[in-house]
Amino acid sequence: MNVVAASLAAAGGCAVAGAVSAVLVGRSVRAALVGLLTALSGAAAVVAGAAAANGAAWSLTAPYLLPLTGIELAVDPLSGWFLLLVGAVTAVTGVYTIGYAGRQGEGPGSRPSLFLLPLFAASLMLVPVAASVPTLLVGWELMAVTSLLLVVTEHRHAPAVRDAGVWYAALTQLGFVALLVGLLWLAAAAGGTSFAAIRAGAADVDAVTASVVFLLGLVGFAGKAGAVPLHPWLPRAHAESPSHVSALMSAAMVKLGVYGLLRLGFDLLGGGARWWWLVLAAVGAVSALYGITQAAVARDIKRMLAFSTSENVGLILLGVGFAGMYAQAGNPTAAALALGAALLHAANHSAFKALLFAGAGSVVRATGTRDMDRLGGLVRAMPATTALFAGGALAAAALPPGNGFVSEWLLLQSLLHPGPDAGAMLTIAAPIAVAVVAATAGIGVATYVKAVGTGFLARPRSDRAATARESPPSMVVAMVLAALACVALAMVPGLTVPALSRITSDLRLADPGETFAASTFALRVEAATLWPLWTVVGIVAGTAAVAVTARALGRARRRAPAWDCGGGPLTERMEYTATSFAEPLQRIFDNVLAPEQDVDVTHVDESRYHVTAIRFHQRIPDRVENRLWQPLVTALRSLGERARPLASGSVHRYLGYMLVALLAVLVVGVLP
Amino acid sequence: MGLIRRIVATGRAAQKAPKRPEPLPPARRLKRSLQIRHVDAGSCNGCEIELGQAFSPVYDAERYGARLVASPRHADAITVTGPVTVNMAEALRTTYEAMPEPRLVIGIGDCARNCGAFAGAHAVLGPVDDVVPVDLHVPGCPPEPDTIVAALRGLTGR
Repeated sequence: MNVVAASLAAAGGCAVAGAVSAVLVGRSVRAALVGLLTALSGAAAVVAGAAAANGAAWSLTAPYLLPLTGIELAVDPLSGWFLLLVGAVTAVTGVYTIGYAGRQGEGPGSRPSLFLLPLFAASLMLVPVAASVPTLLVGWELMAVTSLLLVVTEHRHAPAVRDAGVWYAALTQLGFVALLVGLLWLAAAAGGTSFAAIRAGAADVDAVTASVVFLLGLVGFAGKAGAVPLHPWLPRAHAESPSHVSALMSAAMVKLGVYGLLRLGFDLLGGGARWWWLVLAAVGAVSALYGITQAAVARDIKRMLAFSTSENVGLILLGVGFAGMYAQAGNPTAAALALGAALLHAANHSAFKALLFAGAGSVVRATGTRDMDRLGGLVRAMPATTALFAGGALAAAALPPGNGFVSEWLLLQSLLHPGPDAGAMLTIAAPIAVAVVAATAGIGVATYVKAVGTGFLARPRSDRAATARESPPSMVVAMVLAALACVALAMVPGLTVPALSRITSDLRLADPGETFAASTFALRVEAATLWPLWTVVGIVAGTAAVAVTARALGRARRRAPAWDCGGGPLTERMEYTATSFAEPLQRIFDNVLAPEQDVDVTHVDESRYHVTAIRFHQRIPDRVENRLWQPLVTALRSLGERARPLASGSVHRYLGYMLVALLAVLVVGVLP
Repeated sequence: MGLIRRIVATGRAAQKAPKRPEPLPPARRLKRSLQIRHVDAGSCNGCEIELGQAFSPVYDAERYGARLVASPRHADAITVTGPVTVNMAEALRTTYEAMPEPRLVIGIGDCARNCGAFAGAHAVLGPVDDVVPVDLHVPGCPPEPDTIVAALRGLTGR
């Protein structure tokens, strides 16, 4: 039996079993059972994804499963790669859920939440293996609905959760409508709904239709990926949802937006025009810069991670965009390198973001707050979580021993070598992209130094942070698993070369006549990554050597109290907070961020010269949201208010509307 | 151009280096470079004015290797002025403990040695020696910049 078929069946079976057991089992073992089954489902998907990425083929057509169209599934190396990512994140999240959901049976441990979790995981696995437009759309919508319901798990606790749900629902449905129109249009133009039929008929699709389809796909897929300006749902949903859901959404779901763009642009439409990819690269560059700037000044730890997701997705999209441009410019080597860097960064981001969200979830669970200004001092109470989060931060900051460095370095390599006859567009765009990646990496370092430094080190700045306790073992184990994935990707990224080169040659990035040699790509990777294993070994050995030498040759160590300028004991009020740490950056980006500050001074009654209290309040609004989306929301709301008379409450009238709508569709659809 | 003209017109402000004083025995000095943190333990600020002059362009103690730094963590020595007041005693002690070893304490002015005019005042704890061990006293009320510079040169050996 085909290994892909067997493991996909196992993945689906475990997910269904998880959903069923969530309904049937009592609360004391519910989370453990569902978490375990979800983890098994993810592990099975990892096996399937690894096999598919290495060339195992499999397809299934089940015409009876869905009315009118049926379900069509197939795997190729591209879907295998994303199945692998989704599966790995699901496995980690499943283990994490065991401890995170707990035994109380409330919030994330409640019956509906645990029922939906394996279904969400299954829908994540369905999307990359879908081989026809209806199947993809069904999987996409299932993914949207289950994730939406999981986001609003804790809706009773805070109005912000409901707000996040509304934003997520609105933007994800906007994206779905764009996808529905675009993909069905494409299917109609190409003469078939299955991907194989579209691929075959893509040559007959005229350029305007193809461009419109690509742009609609861009709205749907890049919106799901959290690219600016379709991002307002992302910081809300990631921050307000339970942390295992944040991890699944940020590390797995947004990657499927990237998958969709690759599938649509390279595979189904066959590359298209060069300006498509320029638009995509521009969207990626803006997302990267805007995301990291907002992340740098965020004080909510999960909002910071969410904006960092926007940033990383931006970098991935930048790589994909340049891969498309290089392919059009006839430089297959650079195209393969850019695409390989983007895919590798997707994997790296999945690994470290799952780790970071799991770490943030542990912190929130232990302290009850996401505000980094009120955290601190967790290194003593939660040493394992702190160490693991710091490792993830190192990876996310794209510093050398981390895995984020490998793929960002590869991306820079591909941008630095546009080739001799790249044309004006690439010659101008590539250096700009290099600057974007460099700026992003620089601000990223500041962002994650802030997260670890003010969130975990120094003294606790609130009672809840002072009394925090380490998370249960299952949560720590899940974080260790994610950290191991980071370490593996950092030390031996060469293992991914066969899969990546298979994907690039599969997507026909090279000229049709030229057979794309995997060895070209492999050599490029090895030359460009400076041998990551030796980089890691060198840095670790160098640090250890300095430490040992200092210990052996230096003077005896003397412990002295921390220097407090002689002014008495240090208190937590003297520490850097997340806000104060980010203040210089915020000052630099004042024009972009436009922070709103209030200083409220209360004077003593007798004298204006004496002050009893000073309150400082700062809010950094999302300007894209305020300038672009708020006017739209206001306009829609006023339109809704004005359309109120249409909804009179009379059923007869509503039936009349339906009749009119049906007639209109028939007239428009049938007459021409 | 105005700046250059000004520089030319001003000429050399620093005094000629006086004869090098006899360096202290090796056990009590540091070689060539001395990073100093200043602590005012309760002085009338007369010594501070003279100490400031010692590091001014005219006396320029920095050319002999002595330098004022902003934290005892960076310092080889502390200069202490004034009698130690009750409120400054703990701060002086922690400053001394915050210095890395080897470390020196230089008492500047007569008050540092014997509380001077403030001896017996209600807020005065005692001379510097009562709180931290003093390695070198610079006499005077206040000591002249030349005296301070000469003492520092004894420590740097330059």
